[in-house]
Amino acid sequence: MRLAALSLVLLAHPALANKVYITNEKGNDITVLESETLEVIATFPAGNRPRGITISPDGKELYVCASDDDTVRVFETETYTETHTLPSGPDPELFVLHPSGNPLYIANEDDNLVTIVDVQSHRMLAEVPVGVEPEGMAISPDGAFVVNTSETTNMAHFIDTATSQIVANVLVDQRPRYAQFTSDGKLLFVTAEIGGTVAVIDVATKEVVHKIGFEIPGVLPEAIQPVGLKITQDGSRIFVALGPANRVAVIDGTTFEVLDYLLVGQRVWQLAFTPDESLLFTTNGNSNDVSVIDVAAGEVIRSVPVGQQPWGIVVGPD
Amino acid sequence: MKSIFIFAVILALPVVALAGGSGDPTWPCIQPKQPHLSVGQLWSGPPPDAAVEILAQRADIAALAQVLEQRRLPMEEAEVQIAAFAKEASAQELTALFVAVFDRIDAYRTRIMAGVERYAEKQLTLSAQIEARRAEMARLSAALDPDFDKMDAEEERLDWDVRIFTDRQAQLTYVCETPVILEQRAFALGRAIAAHLP
Repeated sequence: MRLAALSLVLLAHPALANKVYITNEKGNDITVLESETLEVIATFPAGNRPRGITISPDGKELYVCASDDDTVRVFETETYTETHTLPSGPDPELFVLHPSGNPLYIANEDDNLVTIVDVQSHRMLAEVPVGVEPEGMAISPDGAFVVNTSETTNMAHFIDTATSQIVANVLVDQRPRYAQFTSDGKLLFVTAEIGGTVAVIDVATKEVVHKIGFEIPGVLPEAIQPVGLKITQDGSRIFVALGPANRVAVIDGTTFEVLDYLLVGQRVWQLAFTPDESLLFTTNGNSNDVSVIDVAAGEVIRSVPVGQQPWGIVVGPD
Repeated sequence: MKSIFIFAVILALPVVALAGGSGDPTWPCIQPKQPHLSVGQLWSGPPPDAAVEILAQRADIAALAQVLEQRRLPMEEAEVQIAAFAKEASAQELTALFVAVFDRIDAYRTRIMAGVERYAEKQLTLSAQIEARRAEMARLSAALDPDFDKMDAEEERLDWDVRIFTDRQAQLTYVCETPVILEQRAFALGRAIAAHLP
């Protein structure tokens, strides 16, 4: 009987739907979308100026940088209620969770530190001094290195997670905003908002091996400001949000050639894939919506109105 | 290791101080100064060519653009008017309508931004005047035989200047939002027009 009921449910939902969580920086809340229907299913308050957002590997806890509250707020994804806060240091903006789900590495923009927090004991484990205005955070798939980018120092700092010490600093272009490793851990991509480029760093040698530039017909160069970035699991495609250019660049992961510039919404900030990578969502800060990109077709298929100034985004696991 | 790192930080700083941020004293807004919008930021359709630029001046297209541009016209109504126009329009005519809307909004936005700059300049002048009045007050009150009538008059002028300065400063948020609101309007219209492209 139970099996029959289950198969009925499965029939009704041929693909598994995921929850998509979006922080609204000005609206001070979180919008929840359903990835299958692309409908808004909930909105709940998230403290003052919520920006960075991530989720535990089991999908049960949502971590949110409440930048103006100087704390990380933790919410239950079932009930959308806040369970506790985590010590973050002042003005947390972006963070990254260890692949195992613990600890959390937080960039503190105002006091030039990366704070390491145990998400189970809710305690601060260490503070690592980095460059001026730390921003982007990434962790290597094996968890060996955390990378922080500092906006004013223009560097990617490699932090050894075992010792919490900086082991290398790589100079990139002006105002680095976001960093991500490929899933094989061999390359690191760093976007530079004012420099207008993406640096490709060889993780073994810690050297910049390539720089990706952007040129969009009919768009003034100063409007092209690379911010959020996502790479497919197989490394074949890289997507880069270009801020006020209102476009997402689609890049070949082998040749680093830009294949297309998709017009999304205004002031595109951050990106997130569904777990099967069929869809890519973008937060558009000025048009107050989320664009949905069909990854295989390379097309924008929908824009969904969310809250005021959407900024961060994360998709729940299957 | 650490000392190398600090050295690198010191090396990197002056470059940024020159090139980064909004060091421009005539631009008072937190929003970055972007003097002009560009078509590619707002339009996913075919890039407009010379023929489209000419077509954009056709009386019916120019007239519709003028109506759409008005912010008091709600977007839902703008969409209805665009849909009505799109029934008979070619891709070239739709692109021309976008160009006509874009040119109007961008020109208006540029004028607004020049206004914001004048606003900032006036504030700078006023702030210098306040400083001068404060110095004058200090000089008057330090005199051996203070002229209290003169001091009262100067104090009143100082109070007015400070009040005007703070009121204007409080309005700055709204003033600075205006170019953004115009950009949002241009984007929304561009998206609505592009939706009818074949």
